[in-house]
Amino acid sequence: MKRALAFATVAERVAGLFLAVVTVLTFATVVLRYAFSIAIPDSYDLSRNFLGILTFWGIAMTGFRGEHIKVDLIWGVLPPAGQRALDALSTVFTLLCMAVFAYAMATKVLGEATSGETTYDLNLPVWPFYALAWSGLAVSVLLLGLRLAGQLRGTAETPVPIALSH
Amino acid sequence: MDHGPIALLGFVALFGLMMLRMPIGLAMGAVGVTGFGLINGFGPALKLLAQSPIRTATDAGFAVIPMFLLMGAIATTSGMSTELFRAANAFLGRFRGGLGMATIAACAGFAAISGSSVATAATFSAVAYPEMRRHRYPQSFSAGVIAAGGTLGSILPPSLVLAVYSLITQQDVGKLYIAGILPGILAILMYIATISVIALARPGFLPPGERHGWPEKLRALRGVWAITLLFLFIVGGMYGGAFTPTEAAGMGAGGAFLIATARGRLSLAQLMDCLQKALRTSAAIFSILIGALLFGYFLTVTQTPQHVTEFVTGLGLPRTGVLLLIMLMYLVLGCVMDAMAMVILTIPIIFPVIVSLGFDPVWFGVIIVMTVELGLIHPPVGMNVFVIKSVVRDIGMGTIFIGVIPFVITDLIRLGILIGFPIISTYLPNHM
Repeated sequence: MKRALAFATVAERVAGLFLAVVTVLTFATVVLRYAFSIAIPDSYDLSRNFLGILTFWGIAMTGFRGEHIKVDLIWGVLPPAGQRALDALSTVFTLLCMAVFAYAMATKVLGEATSGETTYDLNLPVWPFYALAWSGLAVSVLLLGLRLAGQLRGTAETPVPIALSH
Repeated sequence: MDHGPIALLGFVALFGLMMLRMPIGLAMGAVGVTGFGLINGFGPALKLLAQSPIRTATDAGFAVIPMFLLMGAIATTSGMSTELFRAANAFLGRFRGGLGMATIAACAGFAAISGSSVATAATFSAVAYPEMRRHRYPQSFSAGVIAAGGTLGSILPPSLVLAVYSLITQQDVGKLYIAGILPGILAILMYIATISVIALARPGFLPPGERHGWPEKLRALRGVWAITLLFLFIVGGMYGGAFTPTEAAGMGAGGAFLIATARGRLSLAQLMDCLQKALRTSAAIFSILIGALLFGYFLTVTQTPQHVTEFVTGLGLPRTGVLLLIMLMYLVLGCVMDAMAMVILTIPIIFPVIVSLGFDPVWFGVIIVMTVELGLIHPPVGMNVFVIKSVVRDIGMGTIFIGVIPFVITDLIRLGILIGFPIISTYLPNHM
């Protein structure tokens, strides 16, 4: 479980780098457009595909950490045993959802690979971006399985919650 | 075929899952896909699941969310919140209750770079609360001011809730941001006025202020001019059409990074932390957004929005009556649900009603965000109150809720003003 948590942290950091790239691309696009009338080839397509990758990996790791937005009304008044039971149920539900999602997304990746869709300027194939996004979902299914096993054995570590900003 | 029973079953299942503390976004997605499958078959439902989430996740318009979050994370990490508080205190601290006023002003400044109510409340619980307590401000008042000040993050640009509203209703996010400026300023002024009224009504309740000389004021301004300029640049750029909201978010995050780095306030490790924080929050929002869009397909095939519209307009109530009914529903929902989840879940159903009644969608966006933000501070859920409690350990929830009462009353009055005078919200966007 410790290794899984460490892996999730590394995965988040890598996904965070994709966010950095999207930001730099957006920033540079505006600056170059006004300063030199230059357009970065495929900056739009690259940005949105990187956004897809960072979003899917982010959702996957957030699910593994159990940090999705939830309603605590009933959970908050339950005794610790009840809370643990609901936490385990939540993991089962998340695992099922992510497994079906990963399966559906796999069909999409295969569909993209055969359709040969490419980006607008550089003609880069789109499916590798989708495959990278999908891999986040696939990994999350494995990690959620580990988490569930830990919860059932009573050895799962409680991830440190973060303050959601909205 | 009448799909009413399936729609009803879907809503019951969704609320059941949410009450069992299942992730809201996943619950919405699961119910949406299952309901869609029950009506159209599970093959098309899986196809929907294959198409819709990736389309949402790769929509360039949605990039505003992680990039504005990154801007806020960098601003927080590099200590801009403390500087904002210091500057606001230098100018407002001389009044009785001045530290409270300074907290409101600093919250507004911070909200304008973070777009987040919860982040604003969390930050100022750490920055302003100890300072107010040191100056013998009552616990309830100190916490109430921070909870109320935090809500400014929902209305001032770059509000995340407004961004999500725009994405769901296909409204121009730039227009919505600009529409939030005057109501946001009204909110700041009314909160400050509320503190003045408290100070006048209960003279011994709040301590007298401290006067600050001009050299001190100018020194305090030195710390905030760059970020103020960045905010004006972003909003001005959107207002003037120089760049899109997504580009504004990129410029904001990039600008905040450059300012923080130039001032030696951001190490590589801190930047990585900021990226990670922005990613996590963004992922939590995206999961609800994706789930809501999947749920939206279910609503469409069951024709729920049309049925709701027919029902509500068939009640024979005047337009304002319907609006008040909707707002009342949001206030009740705010007792059990998070503001973002509330907007994402209900807007696809409510929005057609609003449009059919001829209300301005941009104005309604402002009204609805102001209404759901009330849910951030009123009991029993009050997300901002929970956040303050999690940062400030020595205070009871009841004490915080007592502290927010005057600000809840102010919010209700402000809502009345904004409904009575829609021009406050529509003037600026109509002149873009």
